[in-house]
Amino acid sequence: MSLMQRSSPHVMGRNTTSRIMLWVIVAALPGLLALSYFYGWGYLINTVICVVSAVLAEAAILMLRKRPVLKTLKDASAVLTGVLLGVTLPPFAPWWIMVIASGFAMVFVKHLYGGLGQNLFNPAMAAFALVLISFPLPMTTSWSTPEAISGEPLPSFSQQLSHNLEWQAYDGITMATPLDHYKTKIKRLTADELAQTPEYVAGPFYGILWVNLAFLLGGLLLLFLKIISWHGPVGLFTGLLVLALPFSADADSAMPVLMHLFAGATVFGAFFIVTDPASSATSNRGKFIFGFGVGILTYCIRTWGNFPDAIAFAVLLMNISAPFIDHYTRPRTYGKPKPVSGYKLPEESP
Amino acid sequence: MSIESHSPAPAVQNPTQDIIKDGLWRNNPALVQLLGLCPLLAVSGTVVNALGLGIATLLVLIGSNVAVSLIRNHVQDTVRLPAFVMIIASFTTTAELIMQAYAFELYQILGIFIPLIVTNCIILGRAEGFARKNTVWRSLVDGTMMGIGFMGILLLLGIIREVIGQGTLFAGMELMFGPAAVNWKWVIIPDYSQFLFAVLPPGAFVALGLLIAGKNVIDDRQKQRVQKAVDDQPALSRRVRVTGHIH
Amino acid sequence: MSRVDRIWPLPGGIHPPEHKSESNGRPIARLPAPHHVVLPLHQNSGLPAEPMVAIGEQVQRGQLIAKGHHPVSALVHATISGRVTAIEDRPFAHPSGLSVPSIVIESLSDQEAALSPEAVSMAPMRDWATETKERLVSRIQEAGITGLGGAGFPSHIKYLGQRQIHTLIVNGVECEPYITADDRLMREHATDIVTGTQIALKILSASTAFIAIEDNKPEAISAIKAALVAVTDTRIKVKVVPTKYPSGGEKQLVYLLTGREVPSGDIPASLGIVMQNTGTLYAIKEAVVSGTPMTERVVTITGEGTPNPGNYWVTIGTPIQDALAATQVAVTGNRPRVIMGGPMMGYDVDITAPVSKVTNCLLVPSATEFPTAPDPDPCIRCGLCEQACPANLLPQKLFWNAVHHEWEQARLNSLSDCIECGACSWVCPSNIPLVQHYRFAKAEIKREAIETIKADQSRLRFEQRQARLERDAAEKDAKRKARAAEAAKAQAAKAQDTPSTLDASAKDAILASVARAKAKKAASTGPVTQEALENTVVLAQQAVDKTRVKLATAVSDGLPSVEALTGALQKLEKRLADAQSALQSHTETGDAP
Repeated sequence: MSLMQRSSPHVMGRNTTSRIMLWVIVAALPGLLALSYFYGWGYLINTVICVVSAVLAEAAILMLRKRPVLKTLKDASAVLTGVLLGVTLPPFAPWWIMVIASGFAMVFVKHLYGGLGQNLFNPAMAAFALVLISFPLPMTTSWSTPEAISGEPLPSFSQQLSHNLEWQAYDGITMATPLDHYKTKIKRLTADELAQTPEYVAGPFYGILWVNLAFLLGGLLLLFLKIISWHGPVGLFTGLLVLALPFSADADSAMPVLMHLFAGATVFGAFFIVTDPASSATSNRGKFIFGFGVGILTYCIRTWGNFPDAIAFAVLLMNISAPFIDHYTRPRTYGKPKPVSGYKLPEESP
Repeated sequence: MSIESHSPAPAVQNPTQDIIKDGLWRNNPALVQLLGLCPLLAVSGTVVNALGLGIATLLVLIGSNVAVSLIRNHVQDTVRLPAFVMIIASFTTTAELIMQAYAFELYQILGIFIPLIVTNCIILGRAEGFARKNTVWRSLVDGTMMGIGFMGILLLLGIIREVIGQGTLFAGMELMFGPAAVNWKWVIIPDYSQFLFAVLPPGAFVALGLLIAGKNVIDDRQKQRVQKAVDDQPALSRRVRVTGHIH
Repeated sequence: MSRVDRIWPLPGGIHPPEHKSESNGRPIARLPAPHHVVLPLHQNSGLPAEPMVAIGEQVQRGQLIAKGHHPVSALVHATISGRVTAIEDRPFAHPSGLSVPSIVIESLSDQEAALSPEAVSMAPMRDWATETKERLVSRIQEAGITGLGGAGFPSHIKYLGQRQIHTLIVNGVECEPYITADDRLMREHATDIVTGTQIALKILSASTAFIAIEDNKPEAISAIKAALVAVTDTRIKVKVVPTKYPSGGEKQLVYLLTGREVPSGDIPASLGIVMQNTGTLYAIKEAVVSGTPMTERVVTITGEGTPNPGNYWVTIGTPIQDALAATQVAVTGNRPRVIMGGPMMGYDVDITAPVSKVTNCLLVPSATEFPTAPDPDPCIRCGLCEQACPANLLPQKLFWNAVHHEWEQARLNSLSDCIECGACSWVCPSNIPLVQHYRFAKAEIKREAIETIKADQSRLRFEQRQARLERDAAEKDAKRKARAAEAAKAQAAKAQDTPSTLDASAKDAILASVARAKAKKAASTGPVTQEALENTVVLAQQAVDKTRVKLATAVSDGLPSVEALTGALQKLEKRLADAQSALQSHTETGDAP
């Protein structure tokens, strides 16, 4: 374009895409470490496998698309997707699930839609949904149990590694995710009875609470660095609470509000998934509505659905609605009496 | 005021070869016209399902094309659609009865999709778009080729989805070919845990998308080759004026 | 806090490195008078002026040398005493880089200067408080004062508005990095600026004036405050605004100080507000109190490429290269690169162009100071631009609209409200030159609008031509009718008992149709164009329709002309069919036969 002459502004800020990605990765580390501390080496091993396969998959599709490989890889977005997948997938799941998920995220969800910034869906969540519906068995039974609950030590690094690489299966104790577990149990037991079961003696949600707090810490870091805005996360919490508060009044049949907030992927989803800029809404109001929708859907799918956690499906459903939300949530521009909303220009506009 | 004439449209003067090419590749009902997607995506989970539906559709398509072509000069325009649907419905019922008789289990698996052939856009589309204006022979060729084109894609999808979804090929062929076919099942990946995504409809969408992309790639290459051949030829004295095409 | 003291925080905005300390440390120095000046007849805004001097004529500093007939065009004064050596096209400091007609004045030799009279000046109005508003406004116009901040609009226009003004805002914000011209002027001429403000208040009959200064200029703030204490004028208030780019934008500053927004597409006067730059008020004071026309201004010369960064009084019209050379910048050919204005909104200029009334800064960057931006990465929709936009736009959406040429969408996203401040580009982590995309989109939308107008005009032309053709046909028709009537009369006179087979009106109608058809045929001869063929079809269609109506009336009225009309209709229908098929074959072949 001939228009691309040198013109104002002549100075640029020091921000770069890769810096943003790297900070998000850094912000996810406390959560990853907390997961590894309570649930064993599986998460770290998974993350490494996911990152490597995501980077390789991106390199391959870039070559196929005849795009610069190294320059694109440098933006670290593939690494980020790998890390997000690593902390989402079950720690005892076999290696090929990681590879399939990462490859699908990179090739189908990201690059078939045009690459970085063009994807309609959140790559990590779409890939999670893919492996969850494709391999229901390993995806629901490969969750690890903290030592304080099972009474058995977590597998050593080499045991975990050979299990995940399918060299030698480790015969450890796995259980459903805390959310899933509580959901099934509360149908038969009262809340008091449930608190007496071995899984809950160590506390209502031992381990997972700290994991959520660690993700919260990372999220606050991102807010502080102004890499994300508060609208999405607050929207998600609001949406979730709007349903969870009234419905959890009966403690003997519903999950407590605190479990909704801190026993699943809620905090992770709020700060690391809902805030994914490419697949979320654009304006601040839009981001809030996007998060709110994710919150509502998450509650519904968790409570009345069959899946262990609902963030992924809720996010995917809201991803589809994001362009629509955008059209109705344009901010009011300076000097305009009201925001331009919808798909048509208002009559009186010039 | 309209001076549009209501005389039947003139017969399209395709040589037979063109009809064949159209059905199998250039105007493939599944890859290009994107018709009949519902059965295409719903029953292409295994090869045997795909084959069953493919053959049924092929037979109905041939029958309806020939029948429509036969009556093309004797049916009033205003009532042609009901007539065509009647014809298609009769052939579909016939196919359904034949299947019940000879491949009852497969018939049960394919279920509603056999009667639904009536509403398959390909069949009505060919009746309305081709057989209504062409001779019986040409309609026969068109029906056959379109049917084979559709069945081919159905089979391809079946192969892809069966291999990826279940790790086998030709499982359950006995449903169609009797007990002799029990041994046809070919386990490609032993101890395969199912890849449900490929078995479920979303997998069909993705696989079809990839097939369409593949066809486009082949067409593009072909075009480039032709273009190159044209470019390589010495410049002709005749100047060709091209207007109204900016790509 | 009262409404008067309150500050309404600006949405968005950025904090780029300020780089003010390089140039604001030393008092404003005066550059030596230039050897020659170039005075463009076309100011930055407004209509061109016409020269009132001839080549070779001797002029005095301050003498009026060009003026326009339109009130919007500013007057041009000689800024040095000397001789007019050329009136020709010269490069002009404008983003377009165009050349415009300019008057070149060369200074006189010392002996000549000693003989020639002093600089021309106007009568000082020391007790301006007793002058009439009209006289003050015409003084501002006569002094050739234009806005010194932004677009360079002739200043007197702002004082001629019909709308009631209650607030004057004095813009001393100077939010662009590097520039310190207003800062220094406020420090050194605070009293003059306050006087200028009082004059402006008088002209506007406004009740309040806010002098807005960013909090990174404490010396300027205290200087103005001290000057205000001295005059004890309670109408004028200093408002200190937080340092943030682009607080100094006109619309942004209005909101910042009053909490009200200038309606989209309107000017502050619609809110009863007028905004003036501090430099403009200084110039107004000089023109009114001292009678000096505007011949110089303060220019910040800064950047790593300048050995002596600072603020200078520069004679307007001084070629930029001469001004730079006077501050010991090495000038060779068209080097160094010079940006006029600040780094956020300034533009590269030709250094042979003259310093104009809007030149607030000449920024001479070193080779490494403003590195060429790396190739843009893909947009990741991070939304940082949205948080930075002071106009509450969605820069990211506008970017996609511009890339995909979705002009309708761009308008939905209020592209026209973008002030091109560059805050979005500055924060973009992918280094996307967003402002350039917006400029492109704006230009395209404008172009399309012009094309739409053109299309409308040609449609109108076509319709009028058709109307004309029909009128001609009708006239011929009338003549023929008269002739026919005469002939009929003559015939009737000859043989009174021969009845006519057709009644007159039906005959006329047929004749008219035939005549029109002939006219069309004549019109369509010559090279066959698509348009001509289309016209033929339209006209033939109309003829058929009219004849049909006539036929229907004839049938219902039982007139004897039915048969003749039926025949005519058949002919016309055939003609229509022919025209249609001709048009169709023309369209299909896409080629002239």
